[in-house]
Amino acid sequence: MTQLHTRLTRALAGAALVAMTAGTAMAQDSYPTDPAALYEAAQDEGSLVWYTGTPINSAQKMAEAFGEAYPGVTVEVVRLPNLQQMQRFSQESASGRHMADVLALDNVSMAALIKNGFIADWKVPSYDDIVPEARMGTQAYAPFYIDTAILYNTNKVSEEEAKLLAGDWNAILDPRFKGRMAVTNQKCAVCYNAVHMFLDPKLADRYGPEFLTKIGEQQPAVYPEINIGVDRVIAGEKDFMVTVFESSVVPKWQEGAPIRWVHPSPTPLSLTSAWSAVSANAPSPNAARLFLDWWMSPEGAKVQQESYGGRSTLKSVPDNRAFTKEPWYDAVTEPYAPDLPRWEANFNADMDMWLKAIGGAK
Amino acid sequence: MKLKITTFGVAWLVLGILVFVVVLLPLLHTINAAFYAETDVGLSDERSLQTVIDVYLGADYLRYLWNALLLSAVVTALSMAIGIAMALLVGRSDIPAKGVIDMLVLVPLFLSPLTGLISWISLGSGSTGFLNMAFRAVTGSTTTLFDIWSYGGIVWVMVLFFTPFAYLFTLGSLRQMDGSLEEAARMSGASVLKTIFRITLPMSLPAIFAAALLIFILAAEMYTIPGMIGTNIGFTTLPWRIYQDATSYPVRLAHSAASGTVLLWIAIVGLVIQQRITRASERFVTVSGKGYQGTPLRLGAVKIPALIFVIGYILLSVVLPFGTLVVSSLMKYSAATLTPDIWTLKHYHDIWNIPRLQRSITATLMLAVLSGVIVVFVGVMISFAELRRPSFSSKALAFLGVLPVAVPGLVYGIGLLWTYSATPVYGTIWVLLLAYVAKFLPYGVLISRSGIMQIHPDLEHSARMSGASQLQAMRLILMPLMRMTLVSVLFFVMLMSMKEISASLLLSSGRTQVLSVLTWTYMDSGNYQLAAAIGVVQTLLMLALVIGVRALFGVRLESAMSAK
Repeated sequence: MTQLHTRLTRALAGAALVAMTAGTAMAQDSYPTDPAALYEAAQDEGSLVWYTGTPINSAQKMAEAFGEAYPGVTVEVVRLPNLQQMQRFSQESASGRHMADVLALDNVSMAALIKNGFIADWKVPSYDDIVPEARMGTQAYAPFYIDTAILYNTNKVSEEEAKLLAGDWNAILDPRFKGRMAVTNQKCAVCYNAVHMFLDPKLADRYGPEFLTKIGEQQPAVYPEINIGVDRVIAGEKDFMVTVFESSVVPKWQEGAPIRWVHPSPTPLSLTSAWSAVSANAPSPNAARLFLDWWMSPEGAKVQQESYGGRSTLKSVPDNRAFTKEPWYDAVTEPYAPDLPRWEANFNADMDMWLKAIGGAK
Repeated sequence: MKLKITTFGVAWLVLGILVFVVVLLPLLHTINAAFYAETDVGLSDERSLQTVIDVYLGADYLRYLWNALLLSAVVTALSMAIGIAMALLVGRSDIPAKGVIDMLVLVPLFLSPLTGLISWISLGSGSTGFLNMAFRAVTGSTTTLFDIWSYGGIVWVMVLFFTPFAYLFTLGSLRQMDGSLEEAARMSGASVLKTIFRITLPMSLPAIFAAALLIFILAAEMYTIPGMIGTNIGFTTLPWRIYQDATSYPVRLAHSAASGTVLLWIAIVGLVIQQRITRASERFVTVSGKGYQGTPLRLGAVKIPALIFVIGYILLSVVLPFGTLVVSSLMKYSAATLTPDIWTLKHYHDIWNIPRLQRSITATLMLAVLSGVIVVFVGVMISFAELRRPSFSSKALAFLGVLPVAVPGLVYGIGLLWTYSATPVYGTIWVLLLAYVAKFLPYGVLISRSGIMQIHPDLEHSARMSGASQLQAMRLILMPLMRMTLVSVLFFVMLMSMKEISASLLLSSGRTQVLSVLTWTYMDSGNYQLAAAIGVVQTLLMLALVIGVRALFGVRLESAMSAK
């Protein structure tokens, strides 16, 4: 292992909080800030490579929309889940083989990359329009919120039961739901959102470790990935799934699948995923900056809301997601924000507790 | 002493360098990784034995290993039983429609394990599986006939996947066997069954054992099917644990690597056993200067039951899963009831409009052909040297050539990433070619070794006595006799490379995504229906390849074990 790689892996273990307040640690790169000049420079490059963990269909829609907005600059989408993206990017950086132009990672990973100088400094034109908590200085930006919801099959869950689930998380412990639930034992940032909240000491009187144990006593079906669980609920094998996020289910809803979702209160609403930034060694630095500018613009945000289903972090962009207009839609009324230091410190132990409770693969 | 430089010596040196660079270096990287301490996201720079102790002596990992070995043993036994029975019926009996059966039995080879699993989830899920729903509709019962989300489900899907290997390996040997010994047994009054168990099967022992060994090792290192289904029943195998250690937070790369070495030991033990049992290779010669096919065994009263058995197998292993794959590809989303509003051709429309699909098909086919050719050439050279010029170095090289079969593709892919990430080949199609050659070289070595073992050396000795060099004898005598074997190895490797996913996932870049990676990407994104459509396209490509080769060249894929 090279020394650079070693430094990187060490930094990844505990750099989130420092990096989020790092501000403009890097000097501003000298790339055109004039949109026309940047576009011209991007056209000379011709294409960019985008590493992302978001569903490929959604990412592809973004890539196509960008291509229509900026002919002559294509986006090569490489879908890599967060950890694999980190490993590949780390290895490529350590070896000097730079392949990625734009990255999309969770908050901890992105913060560590920023701290170690792997992310370019680039202030997008919409900077002031982005909510402050969705910015890591002028280097990384979170384009959308990640909610946490319960997905249900409308042919299997009655309206009365859906209302029950929408009220409070404790509703899933109702005896009528025994054997009908799907969960996942996948260890990922979005998978941890709800568990993180359930184990918040401030909410110990409502949830706590016993709550997790009781979920396990409901004999849920355990699937290795969120997407498999979603598919099984859509098929009707299981009636509902705890927990999903809107981006994971909107595409299937758009295709007519018999599903809806509810947001029990409090609802984890976080910015822990899809932090996007330009690589400090991007092979196509102008195209990368152009893409980030577009994605974080109102035009890009509208496409993103349609294709991802995640609410934009731009203050000026209204929530135009189609499902929010549906009469059944249950909006988030009591958002819960994660405690980032506790998040980083307890992720592993909390997820182990969750796995033990649900009796997943041993 | 003067050093004599011969053509064979030069070829041998080149082979040695190739095997070292392509096979050994990534393996060494992987093994080396096992001896580091870990951070939450990778390896630290401190050496440590703790991981090796955890994996080799810890209760959890020993349980995962036991789960993998037991599962593999069960799958191997069942796959071999079904595969050999099918091979005997097709290769040695008078069962009708052999040509059709022969083709259909191999179709599961064209389905990747993941797409096969998706099909069986649709077929065999307890509440919504098509089979269970049909059973309930017909019988009025509320019972679940079969639940894929069970240990039995894991075994079932794996057996369906591995049976063609057993069939393929055994059939080639049976078809080209000298039938005079069977004739002699029958003329002495032995029954059909006695002839099969006392003469036919023992004569095919090298092929049978090669198949059993390969299936055992491949089954022991498979992680997709045991992982996806096993999660639901709290069952974990070592390969699934390797996958979790390498891809979940906290990352435990040293644990992945150490677990990979455990599987490596299994392969080493298996290879040693194979070499000892088949040491006296002349006992298994089935092709000599004399050739006699013999008459097919008459099934008589068991012909109908045999046909039912064959049709049942084809129904379960081909018609149902592939049919379900096609059905899935035409659905908007997964559903238990097939209502009129669920159908769509959108996925096939999307496929042809995906910018990268054409590139994926081109890359997939190019890699298949190149890796097949290289593996055949290198595999034959290594096996030839091992069997015809045995020495410590030739045996060592053969051993090294086979080792990658035991290393899980994911772990090997990590080793490849570390080895090649600093080289110009990284991010290009050539790094994938190196990965495929390394991964499939064991097939080239094992299959060609089995083929060479069944050809009596006297045939080459005759050529040598007439003045030919050893390489000339190999080229003019051995290779023509092994033609069917070599071509079938070529196409076997081509098929396997078209399905390869583990190393491809790690090494593919934006411009070099092969079809299997594309399928995985859509499945991982929850779009099973589009992934099914890509799976249908991939399967049809492979089927076209096999049918085309058979029609144009008369080459059968199963002629892998014997030379004529």
